[in-house]
Amino acid sequence: MVVWSHVALAGAWGGLLALERRAFLQAMFSRPLVAATGMGLLLDDAASGLFVGVVLELFHLGGAALGAALPENDTTAATCTAAAAAALAHGSGGTPAIWSAAILLFLGTGRLGRLLERRLERYAGRLSAKATQVAALGDPTRAVRQNLWGMWPHFVAFGLLAAVCAGLGHLLSPVMGALPLRAVRALAWAYPAMASVAAGIAIQGTRSRRPLLYAGVGALAVLAISAANLLLGPVP
Amino acid sequence: MSALSKADLWKVFARSLFIQASWNPQGMQNLGMAFALFPALRRLYPKSEAQTEAVQRHLTFFNTHPYVAAAILGGVLFHEEKIAKGEEGPERVAAFKAALMGPLAALGDGFFWLSLLPAAGAVSCALVPLLGLWAPVLFLLLYNSVHFSLRAYLFWLGVRRGDRLVEGVAAANLPFKGARLRALGAASAGGLAAHLSISFGNAHAEALGPLLAGGCLGMGVLAYWLVAGRVSRYAVLYGAALIFAGIGAFLG
Repeated sequence: MVVWSHVALAGAWGGLLALERRAFLQAMFSRPLVAATGMGLLLDDAASGLFVGVVLELFHLGGAALGAALPENDTTAATCTAAAAAALAHGSGGTPAIWSAAILLFLGTGRLGRLLERRLERYAGRLSAKATQVAALGDPTRAVRQNLWGMWPHFVAFGLLAAVCAGLGHLLSPVMGALPLRAVRALAWAYPAMASVAAGIAIQGTRSRRPLLYAGVGALAVLAISAANLLLGPVP
Repeated sequence: MSALSKADLWKVFARSLFIQASWNPQGMQNLGMAFALFPALRRLYPKSEAQTEAVQRHLTFFNTHPYVAAAILGGVLFHEEKIAKGEEGPERVAAFKAALMGPLAALGDGFFWLSLLPAAGAVSCALVPLLGLWAPVLFLLLYNSVHFSLRAYLFWLGVRRGDRLVEGVAAANLPFKGARLRALGAASAGGLAAHLSISFGNAHAEALGPLLAGGCLGMGVLAYWLVAGRVSRYAVLYGAALIFAGIGAFLG
């Protein structure tokens, strides 16, 4: 059964983050780690948001809007996947199997988001042309205000997309519940694999000059701490 | 004495946060630039015709990094004050924008998008096992303490120094700091990969634990090599999920 309040909240959060990503502030509330965790908190499943967000943050770590180039929309991927994960869990708490299913089904929304952004740029282009015309007619106040009109389509389009994904999650929830144990176990095993792969992709995404060296140092430090804990026992 | 009050400067800075609200392929940040400058232009050019001309000269093509745009906005105010007083011609401000938007965009992209953002993201992800839900809060604090302080500093630099803002930007030595941040990001991601493999291994039965731990670590390293060799990230992620799902279904 679709929980409409969740769908509405997912839509509002998805729309607001689309604005924050592109049009206003850019304080990185729209990064997958924050966006997905926020979505999880709103939909009563913070853990699902966080664990989906970590994988997506690492997966998209190297993406950047350089010049006029447009990377995949990691915010859309995060809001849609987290909304779907929380909806799939249906209030019973997320599991690695649910996170895997959500990531596998909704990761591609990042590409859809990029496509949508390109479409919306055309509308902004018309606003720019209108501003030039209005300024030529001697109304500078109205000309500069055109800037703000570029925001609402982002809110509506990306809000709708997040709401649809939350709705799809609710619709798919019974299917998830009816999966045989073997399939659930398979999905549960897929989550650590995806998290590890995302970490490997993130090492590449940092664009460090010697990524393997630094990553190796980080990994060795963690392994040394774990070995010390194992041999010496936890510090009293 | 400056013709612009502190309130005018604050208004311009606050409106600069909307610089990409109508980013478009033709003029790029042109609308955002004119929108941000408008409170100052209205103050400097009380007469309607001069005000319209000033707005028109900022509706032309403009594109740079959205944060370092603050420096250019400050510098534009510096020049517009002089233009309003008749001390220089309007072509100076156009030349100033054209000269700085490219180099500052490269600097901003390199530091903010390619260094600070991945580093803050990787460090925060690596600390999720310790901080849980506070990790995203840490990410926002780490990133925005640098982001907002630099953004405000660059704006002030532009307002005070005009063309000489370049000296101040160079003194900040952002490329060097960016290289350090990228190394920190790579180390954090490596540490997280190791932690993931250990914790996933520990979470399973003794016989399968080492298999899962070793498999995860190996998968992370393999993913690095494949992506470095230009294999699609999606193919790598879905492929790894498929392999582990197969193993989990039959062995788990």
